[in-house]
Amino acid sequence: MKPARKSIVLIGLGAVISLAIPLFLKNEYLLRVATIALLYVLLASSLNIINGYSGQFNIGHAGFYCIGAYTSAILAKKFGLSFWVLLPIGGFAAATSSFLLGIPTLRLKGIYFAMTTLGFSEIVRLTVLNWQSLTRGPMGIPGIPSPELLGMQFRSNAHFYYLILGINALMLFLTSRVLGSRIGRAWSAIREDEAAAQAMGIEVFRFKLLNLAYGAFWAGIAGCFYASFASFISPDSFTLDEGFSMLAMVLLGGQGTLLGPILGATFLTILSETFRTIAQYRLIIYGVAILLTIHLRPQGIAGSVFLRQIETARESFQVSFTKESEVDVSYS
Amino acid sequence: MAIGYSIILGVVGLVTFVHGEVIVYGAFTGFYTLLLSRGNVALALLAGFAASWILGVVVNKICYQPFQQRGREVALIATIGLSITLRSSAQVLFGTQQKFMPDMFQNRFFALGDIRIAYTQVFVFAVVFGLCLLLQRIITKTYFGMALRAVSMNKKAAALLGLDVNRAILLGNALACGLGGISGVLLGMYYNAIHPLMGASMAMKAFTATVFGGLGSITGAAIGGFLLGIFENFAVAMLSSGYRDIVAFLILIAVLIAKPSGIMGRRGVELS
Repeated sequence: MKPARKSIVLIGLGAVISLAIPLFLKNEYLLRVATIALLYVLLASSLNIINGYSGQFNIGHAGFYCIGAYTSAILAKKFGLSFWVLLPIGGFAAATSSFLLGIPTLRLKGIYFAMTTLGFSEIVRLTVLNWQSLTRGPMGIPGIPSPELLGMQFRSNAHFYYLILGINALMLFLTSRVLGSRIGRAWSAIREDEAAAQAMGIEVFRFKLLNLAYGAFWAGIAGCFYASFASFISPDSFTLDEGFSMLAMVLLGGQGTLLGPILGATFLTILSETFRTIAQYRLIIYGVAILLTIHLRPQGIAGSVFLRQIETARESFQVSFTKESEVDVSYS
Repeated sequence: MAIGYSIILGVVGLVTFVHGEVIVYGAFTGFYTLLLSRGNVALALLAGFAASWILGVVVNKICYQPFQQRGREVALIATIGLSITLRSSAQVLFGTQQKFMPDMFQNRFFALGDIRIAYTQVFVFAVVFGLCLLLQRIITKTYFGMALRAVSMNKKAAALLGLDVNRAILLGNALACGLGGISGVLLGMYYNAIHPLMGASMAMKAFTATVFGGLGSITGAAIGGFLLGIFENFAVAMLSSGYRDIVAFLILIAVLIAKPSGIMGRRGVELS
């Protein structure tokens, strides 16, 4: 009863604050920063669905983001499709690409899967860079039309702010529903112990794939939003460092919590925006944030102590397990 | 370079992201030594080796030692964080411009029929070859090498036999980084130029070569690096030079899917 009431108060407070921000922030630059922060909230949350809930280790999230952005930008320029149609298309394009990546590679474990996601992200970026007839390569795609709603053009930063706020609210609502459902619980089970989950009758591979696709879907939507918000995209926006930044946000905020990526993304975006003038230090902030987090508070800002207990419990289990296998080796 | 990577992977059992930055720092140390000593190549190689060795110790302290009891993902994340930090610091420290490495042979070359071979190329090849032989000897013949191999096979068993596992990991990592530093200097001599951002793609290639050749196998890493170079040049010849880097990633994914132990791999090191 009590935690539920607490979270309702928290959500209400968050909603009121985020809705009121454009009323108080008259400065266009600050409003733009706020919009970018929300964009990163969306990206970090979608990455968190993959890394935090099913325990896959994806470090190439920028690839999905890139696919969403380029799909919608190209379709908007070539066929003049409206933003509202492109939003789901961008999402589904990213989700489809996640199948391409996931079907062959998801049976790889931990760091090996991580390396393939990294490779995937770079392949996407390099393809975009080289496929000049379609993507204009390094020149990027300029003049992407801004969205329109009931005859009203989205022009000012405040409009975009409310748009991304709405998308975020929808994403958080849907995700919290999914996580509470059988699917979400299956994801958590896979994260905690894949073998046990399989023994309980969870189709591990299918659920992992679904998880990856769901996370990629929202990254694609974020890409679509970014394309129309910035109205210009180029491969430079989707480097590996972009994926690492998202990773830093998720880690700092706390993996496996809904609140964590929101805090992490907001905090890191504002922090790095403060140091905008010295662009080279921006990435140092992300790097140091990652290092500090895993050294001082591995569960992140919002992470609970509970997760940590599970981790230590799992370790002791693994130790006893390896001991047995060693005995086997010495006998054979 | 791939060889250095292979040691880290095999011994520490870890994937590292810092190796590219280690190479860069080694290369720049070598470059400045070369300037200060007016072209003393041996000194430059030595300085590159020493600087990267120290860096390797630091990496070990920050990224590996605190997390030995926890998952390998945690250490991987730590190396990502350190890599980003070091790379950006390198840009601040060394500037964002390319630096041109002085050529010790004044671009002289000799001709074999139609093929022109620069002395620098010969020199680089000779050093790499010599290092390979030396390393092979260290790994197979010396006590230190045997300790390294024991630790890479089974840390607990090695500890039970009285080996100082932490020390072996520290030394193995430092040695690997030192080799990375040398390769950084050599690469700078080969291409005549070094750049603070050159590490990232090279580290990926080193990783690909290592996985391709077989994790933890020095011969494999050498062969993997060689084959990767050939494939890349084929891709450039058939498609365009922009696709050069894609090849490495495609091979990486393909090998991980099809044969995670690599061409020369021994079982047990992979997927665990």
